[in-house]
Amino acid sequence: MRTSLLLPSLALLALGCTGELATDEPPLPTGNASAGTDNTFDHPDSNIDVWELLDRMKAEGPPRYSARMHACAKLKYDTLGRLLGSRGVDLAATGALSAGKLYRDGDQALGAPNFAARQRESRELTTATASRMFDIFVQAAPEIIAAMPGLPACQIAGQGATMFNADNQCNPDGITCLLGVPATPSHLELCNLAVTRASDVEKGKRIAVASLLAAANTCE
Amino acid sequence: MRSVRVFLALGLAGAACGGATSTPDDTGDDVPADEWDRRLGDRVVDYNAALRTAALRLTGDLPTLAEIKAVADAGDPAAQKVVYESLLRSYLEGPRFAGQMLRFWRDTMRLGESATMDTAPRFAAQLTVENRGYAELLTATTGTCPTYDGAAGTFAAADCDNGVATAAGVLSNPAVMAQFSSNMAFRRVRWVQETFACTAFPTELTGAQPEGAPAFLSPWPMESIAGTANGGTVDFHDQSAVICANCHTTMNHLAPLFANFDDAGQLQSTIQVKTPLPGNPLALRTDWLPGAEPTAWRFGAPAADLPALGAAMAADPAIAECAVARLWNWALGRGDIVDTLATVPSEVITAQVAAFTGNGMKLKDAIFAVYTSDDFVRF
Repeated sequence: MRTSLLLPSLALLALGCTGELATDEPPLPTGNASAGTDNTFDHPDSNIDVWELLDRMKAEGPPRYSARMHACAKLKYDTLGRLLGSRGVDLAATGALSAGKLYRDGDQALGAPNFAARQRESRELTTATASRMFDIFVQAAPEIIAAMPGLPACQIAGQGATMFNADNQCNPDGITCLLGVPATPSHLELCNLAVTRASDVEKGKRIAVASLLAAANTCE
Repeated sequence: MRSVRVFLALGLAGAACGGATSTPDDTGDDVPADEWDRRLGDRVVDYNAALRTAALRLTGDLPTLAEIKAVADAGDPAAQKVVYESLLRSYLEGPRFAGQMLRFWRDTMRLGESATMDTAPRFAAQLTVENRGYAELLTATTGTCPTYDGAAGTFAAADCDNGVATAAGVLSNPAVMAQFSSNMAFRRVRWVQETFACTAFPTELTGAQPEGAPAFLSPWPMESIAGTANGGTVDFHDQSAVICANCHTTMNHLAPLFANFDDAGQLQSTIQVKTPLPGNPLALRTDWLPGAEPTAWRFGAPAADLPALGAAMAADPAIAECAVARLWNWALGRGDIVDTLATVPSEVITAQVAAFTGNGMKLKDAIFAVYTSDDFVRF
């Protein structure tokens, strides 16, 4: 155990090598792993915080366990766009509060990659990301409800599914197409409750669809 | 995967994650049969959930209603498995898979989204879509900057135009060289290490850490790299704060191989990278290595040029294991294996690695193996 814990200390404390910094270099950013300006070179401070890792492993379990479990990764930015598009959302919409515009303008909040800065896409569902996604889902819901019967992704043998029947009850096939997994009795119950408890039916349908989308897409 | 970070992960796991019957042994490994094993045993096969996840990863979209119902209505799990695997194959053969692989490799390589910068992830995606060997990513001598038809999901071979006479897969790619340009080419070296070996530096540590201060644990002699005492301008022998040579014995044997690429990724006849010294002078070979010390992938694995480096890497079992581990983490929605320390213990992917290395390191076959593994279809 001592070996295991001391070896990583080498990695985590690999700070720098002696020499002089170029005099015209800008000040080192906060958190940079360099030590004194007279005795180290600039090394990127990208080592994971050992205490954060410890907390994470308390929650997730040891690697021999966590590596075998599905994680809850944020839906990728591109994937969210295709998912919305295939479920009837106009991603080119220009209305200020349209789902399409919220999506297009929300790339940073949604954790899109920034390859110019050598940053890959974030896989964490942050509060900002979840909030933005729910905003999008709320705005997308009426489009999805209207478009669903004509969507190729929601048809079987040319027959399109609908989210709601003539009695404003949720349809299992509509929920199934919306979520990507077979609708369960719980899905149906939640969906119908959202419709019936809202101040009016249309708002209820919107809340039902947005809530189902948000719950289903918490993880990719 | 036998790295410092795995030691760290296992050590911390032993300390923090022990279950009711879990006790760390002398090596820091948990004794099996604890609450975590029970949780693994509690998972159940769910081909509907597996299909949703697979569709999102492999096509970038949800499965269609017809696909969902085909699995759900198939009957028992054995019948569902047949339908699931059939759909999986259709995803792998469809045009959307190419786009998904391009995105996967952009994320893995941390570059892309422009015609120039996409060349390296495009080549990796082409190898994947065409089910070619992973070794080509490091050793292909031609066709390493392909073009891509997004609508058809197809690639066409093309050479990189950056002055390289004999390419070495993406190791000589101009976009990589430009994206990871830095003083002394160390950012390029780090990219190679982390992308293809799945661990951060230091990576060549031998022996046990003694009590007290950090020690020099590299298999290389300290004098095999430059310091101010043997002709260098940067003292990589320094031990006043940390042992620079624990990382730099490996890094300095690699960096000169990437030093002649300029900031735009063009190969020049002379060293193009600078040293972080006053005035930022161009580096000299003697700043990394003394005398005629040869470049190398690892201790005992010399590499005189980039094609030799690619060959040495392709022959390293750690590289194949890293490739499978990255595919594994992607499939299971885990973070980057280096950035987030989402390590994959070797025993978790033993079967997939064995199949991968025994099958010419074919990428699409490896993806199918991961997406049909027992762990992927259990929730």
